[in-house]
Amino acid sequence: MAIKARDRIRAKLKDEQTTVRVLLAHPMHTGRGENEQGELIPAEFIQDIRCWRNGKEVLTIKCGTATARNPYFSFQLTGGASGDKIMVRWVDNLGAKGIAETTLS
Amino acid sequence: MTNQADPRRRSLIKGAISASTLALVASSGLLLPRRLLAHWPSDAFTAETVEDALLALLGEAEVADGKQISFKIGAPPSYAVNGASVPVEVRSDLPNVERIAILVDKNPNPLAMSVDLTPDVALPFKSMIKVAEDSEVIAVVRADGKLYITSRDIAVDIGGCA
Repeated sequence: MAIKARDRIRAKLKDEQTTVRVLLAHPMHTGRGENEQGELIPAEFIQDIRCWRNGKEVLTIKCGTATARNPYFSFQLTGGASGDKIMVRWVDNLGAKGIAETTLS
Repeated sequence: MTNQADPRRRSLIKGAISASTLALVASSGLLLPRRLLAHWPSDAFTAETVEDALLALLGEAEVADGKQISFKIGAPPSYAVNGASVPVEVRSDLPNVERIAILVDKNPNPLAMSVDLTPDVALPFKSMIKVAEDSEVIAVVRADGKLYITSRDIAVDIGGCA
């Protein structure tokens, strides 16, 4: 059995920009893949990812099935100060949810 | 038997349950980010052609030349070994970028992702997508109400849409 991976988030301040990198642990089944027995694996993929900085929503990502397994995202936020709280929440098509949080150091 | 004996009691219990579940959901704050549950544009994501997906996602808009977007896909020179995770990167100097969409022409559902940006977000945006077969990958940036479209071809050895 695979070890259940955790959602990861990193934020870094450089040149007055915050670089946020997010790695979510999710199988992202498209609904077209088959398991070893040749049965279709039902679709299970992240649909909605949101990012907040200090409680303010800054970014929304809507994903289709073509987002890679264990989705990775990297983006910049303008400005930023040490102590900023950056939070990412996701919801998949089956209603499963996850939260990843980090504090800018 | 007991069911038939008192149907009104049944419905009373049912009503009580659904009301309390609703109250629970509301109080747990699930409904607070109100767009979180409802607004996944399924029309756009289940569209089978690029045109349909774009129309559903962005509507009609003035299309401008995509030269102001720098769009990178795969490792140079635009070659992906494994279609299950193809890196993409979108950069642009355009002001007021509102939305970025990434589409893969030959995927069963072309729209891979759609990103809504606020003025707090700066590019580049990087992510990974799946590419089923050798295909054209399209990046669309909406800025100031205009669409900037650019595309790259990509070759994959192993298709990645399982």
